[in-house]
Amino acid sequence: MLLRRSGGSDLPGINDWRRWGLDPRWHRYVKVEAGGDSVTWSVLDSGETIADDGDAAVQGTIVCVHGNPTWGYLWRDVLHELGGRWRVVAVDQTGMGWSERGHERRLDQRVAELVAFCRSEINGPLVLVAHDWGGAVAMGAASHLDVRAVVLTNTAVAKPADVRVPPLIAIARSAARATCEQTPIFVRGTARMTDRVHREALNAPYIGSRRRSAVAGFVADIPVRPTDPSAAALLGAAEAFGSLERRGVPVLLIWGGRDPVFHDRFLSDLIRRAPHADVHRFPDAGHLVALDEPIGELIGDWLHQRLQTETAEVLTTQGASEARASDFLSILDPLTTRRADPSAAYAGPDGTRTWREVAETSRSIAEHLVEAGVLPGDRVAMLVPPGADLLQASYGVWEAGGVLVVADSALGPRGLRHAFRAATVDHILGTPRTVLAARALGFAPGAQRFTLGKLPGAMNLLERRRGRPVELPELTRGDLAAVVHTSGATGAAKPVRYTHGALAAQRDAVRDAFGLEGEHGFISSFAPFILLGPALGVSCVLPDGDILKPAELDFDACAEACRRSGVDVAWLSPASARTIARTAAGRTFPLRLVMLAGAPIPAALAEQLAVITGADVRAPYGMTEAMPVTDGRGASRQLEVGTDTGLPLPGATIIISPFDEPAGPALSPGVWGEILVNAPWMRTGYDRRWAVDQSSSISRNGVEFHRTGDVGFIDDSGHLIQLGRVQHVIVAASGPVPCVTIEQPLVQSLGRDVAAIGIGPRGTQVVAVVVSGDAPLRLADQPTTAKVRSLSSYPIAAVLEGQLPVDIRHQSKVRRDLLGADAARLLEGR
Amino acid sequence: MKILVTGGSSLLGRTVADRLVTRGDGVTCFQRRSSGSLAQDKLGDITDRDAVNLAARSQDAIIHLAALVAPKAPWHSMHSVNVAGTSNVLDAARECGRLVHISSPSVSFHDAAATGERTAVADYSGRDGYARSKAIAERLVLASAELSTVVIRPHLVWGPGDTQLIGRIVDRARAGRLVLPDHGRALVDTTYVDDAADAIIAGLDACQPSSPAIGHAWVVTGGEPRPLRDLIDSILTAADVPDRPRSIPAPIAGALGSLLERVWPGSEPPLTHFAARQLSVAHWFDQRETRRVLDWAPAVGLDEGFRRLAAWFAAKG
Repeated sequence: MLLRRSGGSDLPGINDWRRWGLDPRWHRYVKVEAGGDSVTWSVLDSGETIADDGDAAVQGTIVCVHGNPTWGYLWRDVLHELGGRWRVVAVDQTGMGWSERGHERRLDQRVAELVAFCRSEINGPLVLVAHDWGGAVAMGAASHLDVRAVVLTNTAVAKPADVRVPPLIAIARSAARATCEQTPIFVRGTARMTDRVHREALNAPYIGSRRRSAVAGFVADIPVRPTDPSAAALLGAAEAFGSLERRGVPVLLIWGGRDPVFHDRFLSDLIRRAPHADVHRFPDAGHLVALDEPIGELIGDWLHQRLQTETAEVLTTQGASEARASDFLSILDPLTTRRADPSAAYAGPDGTRTWREVAETSRSIAEHLVEAGVLPGDRVAMLVPPGADLLQASYGVWEAGGVLVVADSALGPRGLRHAFRAATVDHILGTPRTVLAARALGFAPGAQRFTLGKLPGAMNLLERRRGRPVELPELTRGDLAAVVHTSGATGAAKPVRYTHGALAAQRDAVRDAFGLEGEHGFISSFAPFILLGPALGVSCVLPDGDILKPAELDFDACAEACRRSGVDVAWLSPASARTIARTAAGRTFPLRLVMLAGAPIPAALAEQLAVITGADVRAPYGMTEAMPVTDGRGASRQLEVGTDTGLPLPGATIIISPFDEPAGPALSPGVWGEILVNAPWMRTGYDRRWAVDQSSSISRNGVEFHRTGDVGFIDDSGHLIQLGRVQHVIVAASGPVPCVTIEQPLVQSLGRDVAAIGIGPRGTQVVAVVVSGDAPLRLADQPTTAKVRSLSSYPIAAVLEGQLPVDIRHQSKVRRDLLGADAARLLEGR
Repeated sequence: MKILVTGGSSLLGRTVADRLVTRGDGVTCFQRRSSGSLAQDKLGDITDRDAVNLAARSQDAIIHLAALVAPKAPWHSMHSVNVAGTSNVLDAARECGRLVHISSPSVSFHDAAATGERTAVADYSGRDGYARSKAIAERLVLASAELSTVVIRPHLVWGPGDTQLIGRIVDRARAGRLVLPDHGRALVDTTYVDDAADAIIAGLDACQPSSPAIGHAWVVTGGEPRPLRDLIDSILTAADVPDRPRSIPAPIAGALGSLLERVWPGSEPPLTHFAARQLSVAHWFDQRETRRVLDWAPAVGLDEGFRRLAAWFAAKG
């Protein structure tokens, strides 16, 4: 079979394939006959090498379809990673890559060719993987083929109604011949979207204008009007994609977050059409995510999970069907029952709101939102500073069935932009100032804007609504309530999903464990916690001063706010707890309960607060993903090693699992390991991070546990003793040791802060102890070194002295990652 | 078992010979002058092929420690002792079938820090004659297919009576001429002489065709890395020397080493570039596999070792 060569460039030789990281044996030509026409395709087929290596059973066939203007090279990682276990076939479409030139093709013909290829080349069901306009081709073919699973990356099967034609496509389309054929602008531009190492291979088949005619044809064929020739074929592809859920075909969407063409709104559109899809979004990858990220491994893991374990799926569905709406008391309930109550629901620097005011305002906001077109499940970016407005707007969004998308302002403009874009918010809700800023910084392009106040072009939600009441949706347990981005204090911010069921369960757990009901209002130096007030039906108070600087809340401000509002519970961050203790100067004010949250609290600090307030001081264990997990009794108990977080709350389950091997058996009391948590109020996975879901969850007896990344043990009395983070466990040749095991006895005997750092590769690390000091990091003097060595029962390789860097957010967690890097560099010499 | 130990007059060689004798082996030490050990001596030069062959006759195994360490010895002497000498030993060992070759971690030193590294290939080919010749010798040994070989690379061996490391440090500190690169901040692991000797004997016991130790090099250290400054401090405390070394920036130490190598009249310049670099960067190793394969662990260690060193200095007066 001879290839008709109508272009100028030579076909790749063995050395070209090798240079491009492709096995020359994969390459072959196939004759494809469809609609009475015959064309020769170039394909990369790992089936050729499976036969050679093949001992294990082949798992099936994966057909990969590239877009425009790339070729089979795009799937290099999939071929390498999966090509040994799966038959991976990456085709070059007609006129593309190294396939035959000289045929004009429309979408329906491309679909027919792919169908014909699969029917003649592949026996049995297959997995379709596609990118860019290959997505439309593959989905068009999907309805004619026996498809086991579908993986799409940065593609579209339709133009979302609220999205314009991507400007880059519009430009290319308006002058298709000039940009795509006569010049290599389009080809080169696409190749520039990924790492330099891929450029040569991506450009190679498209050198010379005659080899590029299909590139232009492809672009010209993109339908933008219903009357365009391929509009019907695209509609068919969209319908086929939409029917995958009904057909029981699992879908994985792998998305590069930095794609100027197929941006996140296209992802939203695909998710709407296939609600059952698993999504993994790489925030830093671009249009050619297949080359930017190790997607082969991801696809392999996903196929393994989705095609082989169906039990997990069954379990979740059962859980959902239990959730009957009738016996569900959502967190909105107290706002209904106390809607006529003239007593204060909220007090803060911005004034006081009665229950009636809060109920009416949030109701009015909800009706505004619904009237403006907010649908249940719509995502609303919350850009409202802590206070009454935040309270009322949040409950308004929930009443309208919306999903709060929340990110801590400590993430900074870049972090916030990242977070809101990743969540593809449909609407933005903020003050005129924050909404303007969000627009200027491009937080959420295309989102509808709502303001609490007047702003041209945005709807003012505080304006009194006239007209008849609007019907609001009824909430069920399974409805998504919020996407909360973790603080990012100790790593990248992760988007945590909470359902209304989880929020209601959290309310119940807090109420029952801490007696927060009736007249027991609380003050919080931790702004987000005030959202619990209306849910619990108790009043909540924000102290005067800048709530974003909790370290500035001193004794006087806290005592005054409690006295004025009559609350007897304080919910404090570690920073404000420290400031209050420092500024008390022997004075006291009475409280019933002090809750400390945000980071492990030193027992001495808890004890100081107990003396100042006479209160029951609790420091429950918890994290953004599940809060709280324990009752926090034992906060004042000074332990030799670790922090006593108290007993697990009723309903919460804690498992201690062997360190570095969380799939192992649960450990017996007293033995430390990673803390696994399950509670009805824990997160429902991470938003659009399928791989993170997998790595942070673990199933035990059919129950999903959250891997906390913390280590600890259960002591004789059943208390959970926390021993710090998994990544701070020092793994020496003699075995792993949590750093607090070394630090805590030293802190007590030295009277100075210390951090123990593992130096060297895990498994053979040695310990450096850094004693807190003012100077830059250096070797500690000889007396200090000798003292630390003699006080520690653990062998210490080196003793250093210097500043201990702490996280910006809590001002309390030592940044062992930074310190560890500095210490390692110092001890490495130069 | 009858064992030939070459280089028995060094601290490590003598210790190995004594410990073998104590456990009941028949030991012969081969070197140019009396070893001062409990074993019987057979005097001769390692570069003399016939002498080596004669000494090795009817032995069951050879432990080859003999080497030339002088920093500035001419390459031909380095080569003839460390490479040709090893070649002689290899020849002679064919008859007994078992050889434990003592190498040095410097054979894989590339001017970069070793932090918890596993044993690396002996591919040093730089300016330092000792490291270069020892690298060639080690490759020779590992390439010989006809006999069972184990290569041990003890790292910075020290102990009472050591003139190489301890002696030089103490002498220089007393003379106020000891300097440390960058305050001696690099983490360095060392090996107490008894522990190193035990590791070599463990290597001998593992020198059997079925052992995973065969045909490989094993870096041996005490497994207690410390900043160089702390080590020097402990040595000087043990020797009752009150002075402490001054610090010079690491790049200057390197440059100084290069200069001294060229202008120093004798064969032992106080610092070479290679030595300065080795003291400026971390040197400690992953010992897990070594200890498992050799079935050995250090019994003495740093703290006890320094106590013994202090007692030795005190007795010496």
